[in-house]
Amino acid sequence: MKEILKVESISKTFKLSSKQQKVEKSNSKTKTAVDNLSFSAYEGEIFGLLGPNGAGKTTTLRMLATLIKPDSGDAFIDGSSIVKNPDEVRGKIGFLTSELKLEDFFTPDFLFDFFSDLHKVPDEVRIQRKEELFSKFGIDKFSQVKVANLSTGMKQKVSLAVSIVHDPNIIIFDEPTNGLDVITAKVVTDFLEELKQRGKTVIVSTHIFSLIEKICDRVGIIIDGKMIVCDDLKTITSEKNLEDVFFDIYRERKGDEI
Amino acid sequence: MKNAAFVVFKKELTRFFSDKRLLFTTVILPGLIIFLMYTVMGEAMNTSFNTDDSTFDIAVVNMPDILENSFESERYNITDINTDDINSIRDKISNKDYQLCIVFPEDFNESLLTYTTIEKDRTVPNVEIYYNSSDIQSSNAYSEAVSILSSVEETVSNVFDVNRLDSPDNENIYDVASDEEASGLLFAMILPMILMVMMYSSCVSFSVESIAGEKERGTIASLLITPTPRNQIIIGKVLALSVMALLSGISSFLGTILSMPMLMGNMEDAVGGISAEYYVFSDYLWLILIILTTIILFVTLISILSTFAKTVKEASSLVMPLMIVVMLVSFGSMYGTEAKSELYWYAIPVYNAVQSMVGIFSFNASPVNIGVTILVNLLLSSVGLLVLTKMFNNENIMFGK
Ligand SMILES: Nc1ncnc2c1ncn2[C@@H]1O[C@H](COP(=O)(O)OP(=O)(O)O)[C@@H](O)[C@H]1O
Ligand SMILES: [Mg+2]
Repeated sequence: MKEILKVESISKTFKLSSKQQKVEKSNSKTKTAVDNLSFSAYEGEIFGLLGPNGAGKTTTLRMLATLIKPDSGDAFIDGSSIVKNPDEVRGKIGFLTSELKLEDFFTPDFLFDFFSDLHKVPDEVRIQRKEELFSKFGIDKFSQVKVANLSTGMKQKVSLAVSIVHDPNIIIFDEPTNGLDVITAKVVTDFLEELKQRGKTVIVSTHIFSLIEKICDRVGIIIDGKMIVCDDLKTITSEKNLEDVFFDIYRERKGDEI
Repeated sequence: MKNAAFVVFKKELTRFFSDKRLLFTTVILPGLIIFLMYTVMGEAMNTSFNTDDSTFDIAVVNMPDILENSFESERYNITDINTDDINSIRDKISNKDYQLCIVFPEDFNESLLTYTTIEKDRTVPNVEIYYNSSDIQSSNAYSEAVSILSSVEETVSNVFDVNRLDSPDNENIYDVASDEEASGLLFAMILPMILMVMMYSSCVSFSVESIAGEKERGTIASLLITPTPRNQIIIGKVLALSVMALLSGISSFLGTILSMPMLMGNMEDAVGGISAEYYVFSDYLWLILIILTTIILFVTLISILSTFAKTVKEASSLVMPLMIVVMLVSFGSMYGTEAKSELYWYAIPVYNAVQSMVGIFSFNASPVNIGVTILVNLLLSSVGLLVLTKMFNNENIMFGK
């Protein structure tokens, strides 16, 4: 199996403003969000990053998507370094997180074309892909409605469609079902599995055990920015279910402060 | 392949041109408001100074024979009254029913006839005119009466004249300023200031919204995860914002220059016919180039400030100090209406644009100075674009919390 994503001990420390220090209930002027993290993902699998809130999942994915740079370490996406060749990486991945918003004023149709142009997708390909994705997600009826007037679920589906206008081989998805109703959530998870069927590699982050159990082939458990376990889901859950495994590990690391 | 900067440029302009309300409030409205405001102001000033068609009710005590001709006009309703009636007429003047009451001394005729310049120290007769300064009609009648009486006095004791207007239509042949120069002086005084302030504020409204607004709403991150090079995003944005600001600026400019003749209509006698028609094609071409490059510079500077800000509100306060600088420098052009001729002045941004415009409006456009201005503007904008690119690559600036 091809190792399509290789993360080599990346770390990220944020400086905290005095306001943030209060929010974090910390006296330290810095916060190490990701601490020497390494893992790999293989072509054609769904890899899940599991961890509680604040574990460093989003920060890790933002580094992989080249929005921010690691303080140290590097990661290679299909051979391209996120540190040295961020533009190359951006062309190879589709990234989706709640931080990325679509402009309210425009319609899904316009935005799909706009992002296709930025990814230099040829016109014929774009037209066909748009039709396919819009009908799959039921966006076609709303393709001329401004984003501002769409429901949260529809917005999320448009964001998803727009993030893969260039048909990337690696899709990075932060908390894919957060804030979605059960039906939209199912559409999204079904789609992730479909991507896998088509040979794509999917990296998701979540704090929801059932999501990992349902779709992931391999899983990495992150606590306090550190990778604690990283293995096949089957291997990890051979004796206990994922939830019990997680809390065993968590108690071991954090004592009884649950 | 579609150029990425052009894709961003097109998106920004699509946003702008398909938003009818935005288009109306930023392009149609500024010019329209200026035009209407100045036209109404000019109209109001005209009517308050214009007295030609009003008639005055004037009461006169002891109207002297030699003055009867002077007050013979359809516009004057002269009523002869006695000294006893003065009080009741005064009440009527204060009620605005009457405009004037002129009281001549009884022996006025004789004292005029026996007047010689030799008798220097005798007391001269006094003409009393009652009027109401709170009534425009009365004030106008008063100044007309005073000027009639003064001219009579002059003919009685005339020693010499200054600028006597002999020609039948009383055309002022002594003021050698042409209409062209008068227009130039006026435009050079007023327009650079108005234009600079207008330009800056329209650049602010577009750029703050497009940069800080996109940061605040999180839409800029969607752009930044595409493989589009940062400098292409920036160039596309800055050019699109400049086009918007230019349209808005042209609107204000047209509104100003078209309404100027109406605003200045009442000063016709003093300064002659004000009109933009004296400027030639090259003047307008220079002007557009100055305006365009200054706008690009403004947009770049405001974009830099907006990129530092996390919210539109923060950006709006960050751009205020620059606004004050622009205003101070522009107001300077209202004094010293001669454009500076030394080249080094034109290396100073903002000031160079103001001076170039003063030169153009006063018919002293210097191509060299204007060329330097344009170059300096473009050079500084390029440096600004490099700074912006650096900033767009800095995650603390773009995503800092
Ligand atoms: N820009 C930032 N500045 C300061 N601290 C941050 C920043 N981003 C994340 N953090 C902190 O880093 C830690 C990890 O955050 P995050 O990666 O969002 O966790 P997760 O996605 O696993 O919930 C948290 O404590 C968070 O508060
Ligand atoms: Mg998160």
